[in-house]
Amino acid sequence: MRLLLSQGAEFSFRPAEFFGREEELTSLLRVCLEGKSGVGASVLIYGPPNIGKSSLLLKLKSELKSLPESTAPPCPFPFYYSFSNILSHPLALSQHLLQEYLWQLLVFLGESPPAVFDLDALCESLTARGHMECRDFVFAHRRYSEKGDGLSALANALSFPFATGGDLLYPVFLFDDFQYTIKLQNIPEGAIFSILRPYIKSGHFPMIVSGSSPGHVTSSLKREGLYGSFQLLEVGGLAPDASVKAWGPLFERRNIHMPEHLKERAAARLGHVPIYQRMFAEEVSFRNSRIEDEVGFENLFAVSVTEGKLNRYWREFFENAIPDRGKRARAVKFLKRVLCDQFPIDTFEGAFSLMGTTPEEGTEILSALEFKGLLRSDFEHIRFVDDPVLADFLFWAFERGVLGKNTSQVAAGIVQAKISRGLPERAREEHEGIAETAKEMMRRWDCREVPALLFDFGRFHEAYKGKGLLEIVIGLDEDTKKVRLPKISSVSTGYRTLRGGSRFDFDLVAYGFRDGDFSEENLVIWAVDVNTEKTLGQAAVEHFENRCRLLSLEKSLKPGQLRKWILFDGSADASVVKSAGRYGIHLTHRTQMRLFLNLFGMEELEKGPEEKRPPEAPAGERPLEFELVLPMKADAELVAARVAEEVASHASVDKDTVDRIKMAIIEACINAFEHGGSDTGKVRLRYILSPERIELFVQDEGKGFRPLQAGDESRRNRGWGLKLISELVDDVEITTGEDGTTVRMVKDLRPGRDEDPTTAGDEG
Amino acid sequence: MDNRTVRTREAGEGTSVVYITGYLNSLLGEEVAQVVHEVLDTGRPRVVLNFEGTRLINSIGVSFIIGIVERMTERDGTLAFCSLNRINQELFRLTGVSRHIRAFDSEEEALAFFARSS
Repeated sequence: MRLLLSQGAEFSFRPAEFFGREEELTSLLRVCLEGKSGVGASVLIYGPPNIGKSSLLLKLKSELKSLPESTAPPCPFPFYYSFSNILSHPLALSQHLLQEYLWQLLVFLGESPPAVFDLDALCESLTARGHMECRDFVFAHRRYSEKGDGLSALANALSFPFATGGDLLYPVFLFDDFQYTIKLQNIPEGAIFSILRPYIKSGHFPMIVSGSSPGHVTSSLKREGLYGSFQLLEVGGLAPDASVKAWGPLFERRNIHMPEHLKERAAARLGHVPIYQRMFAEEVSFRNSRIEDEVGFENLFAVSVTEGKLNRYWREFFENAIPDRGKRARAVKFLKRVLCDQFPIDTFEGAFSLMGTTPEEGTEILSALEFKGLLRSDFEHIRFVDDPVLADFLFWAFERGVLGKNTSQVAAGIVQAKISRGLPERAREEHEGIAETAKEMMRRWDCREVPALLFDFGRFHEAYKGKGLLEIVIGLDEDTKKVRLPKISSVSTGYRTLRGGSRFDFDLVAYGFRDGDFSEENLVIWAVDVNTEKTLGQAAVEHFENRCRLLSLEKSLKPGQLRKWILFDGSADASVVKSAGRYGIHLTHRTQMRLFLNLFGMEELEKGPEEKRPPEAPAGERPLEFELVLPMKADAELVAARVAEEVASHASVDKDTVDRIKMAIIEACINAFEHGGSDTGKVRLRYILSPERIELFVQDEGKGFRPLQAGDESRRNRGWGLKLISELVDDVEITTGEDGTTVRMVKDLRPGRDEDPTTAGDEG
Repeated sequence: MDNRTVRTREAGEGTSVVYITGYLNSLLGEEVAQVVHEVLDTGRPRVVLNFEGTRLINSIGVSFIIGIVERMTERDGTLAFCSLNRINQELFRLTGVSRHIRAFDSEEEALAFFARSS
């Protein structure tokens, strides 16, 4: 019997469930066949763990074995070997390699291999077929084993296949999980390539090497001067249509029904990764569930990622990759920040500081992750995998471990994040489309003069209400009031919160210069918001104005240096228009925008208003989630309060309650600033809003106590922070872990809960 | 992050009104304390703190206000608040400050109170 271990990937590979990757297969096949004429090349396949690299190799193997009979000899003999099962001792590896090779060769030759997976027996069978060289190698192997000379044994075993070639066949090497070779005891990194070097160079023995950690492999290749002989092939998720097709056999075999229209979404949700699809299908079958709609799918997915197969898969992965608990927790937290919260980390230093570790420990964690293929690095930069399932797993691990939430809460969070992200997709697209068009146009402004009416919805509406386009165009032409636009030097899209949150900065911020003169006093900043709501509300205008004031203060702008502009699509009450006018906000309606674009020859970019907005999503049905990271600097808590206000504005909450929430979050932030360590520290906030309540999390980095900077006065009477919070909200919870302190505050939003128990009603 | 200002107005009979505008945190609190001390030093023992323009007060801000209350008591002065919005009123109630200081809805009422009690 062969070692059970060695059968892992091969055993579970089902050719019928292999879809897509035609392009990769074709080019690999070509490389393998070219070995015949001595121009065969070598390929290094890399990609995230379990993306399907092994399946690709195994598929290649089966393709090579099923070449048409008529192919002229020599035939390629595909030898698949995975280093992951080994056996860090080189003697053990060499013996196993020899046995595997003999076994696979016998099978390839149509022989039934001996029942015992034994080197001598295998050798005898092969010798009987005329492969006399086999005996010498086995003999040599025994001698090295007795002497305990691992390196020579390995060289012997690796050279053996090359002696077996001949007129009839030539070996093609499919080496899987190659990164494990760096773990061989007492064998220098790259030694295997030194041994293989002449064969690789000969071009007669195509070699396909696969591994999730290309960094190690490529550096060995470079050392051996082999890098140029290898083509690199990166393997990612499947093409969408292939992964949709992949559902077919998976579902059929398990008798699962999934509505057609969901298949694409489901495949995308699983990152087009075949192994996830398989696990998901198993999950459905295991739970005997039915998937009828998107919500059902998302629910099942969330269950799987929080307590089912997908969860187990990644849990085991991490337990395997980093056995030490403390380091594993650090790694998970770190990855969560990178993959879920998308902290822009691409350097080692950045990673260490985010992990909060010493470079030594950080390097250890990063190399464990790199070994497992979750990141790639060259000398300076690191790149992380992009895996939606892993991101959700990390979200679970984080919420679970750091915030102490129970699994069903996290699952609900995942579902809600997805669904709320999924539904308003079209609205967001529309919104982004308008912003994009405006951005494009602003770049073309270039000090032109345009009718002031384009920025003045109130006057425009009054003058041209109900009039035809031609009349408007003529009217605009005759209007003497003009505005001179600046020359725009840069336009950037505003910052958005992640995980489905909504905007709290501007949609566009443009820097421009009056008269095209790039000097400090000519600088003007345009802050632009796009509003695609049915009506432009007073709150939206107020909110915009507040942000403008904030921006103006931050940049210390002089009056007139900040231009405020709202583009909107719906209707607007006279009072709203008036207050916008009072604040000096330019208002441009879609009709004006079309005229505006027309002036710049860009009318085609604007779609007709008939292409209508998506149906309104029912408001207040699902929690909204916002995240915010604040620097620990003076007044940063006001930003937190402002965001709280915005979050609360999504629910109909009375002003007093909003004020209490703001006050509570301000206090929690101040507290975090005081206790959270250095000046460069950050405070992380999360806001979760559901129709019933708002939940606020304020987490510091907890690196010790930072004395207050203010005078004695402020210290003397301190200590109310937490007391105040507990008075202002309905529930406070403080948890301190190794990653800092988290204050969780909950405020009930159901009307009447707070002051007047008689109106509390019968909700329950 | 509005403009923060502390402004003083003399309202006669040894009374000063101090207008606090903006976010009352440690910075503004310190300034208010300073202004009130200066007012006391010029021998006007009555102070009305007008919170009409005060949008938010944090706990550090409150601690400065308490410092002011203590200082006023030491110097035998009289202090009153006026024009507090609801949340700030609640804040003073929660921190117990309101037990020591009278708060009026408007500046006129506060001044009238001082006039009566003189």
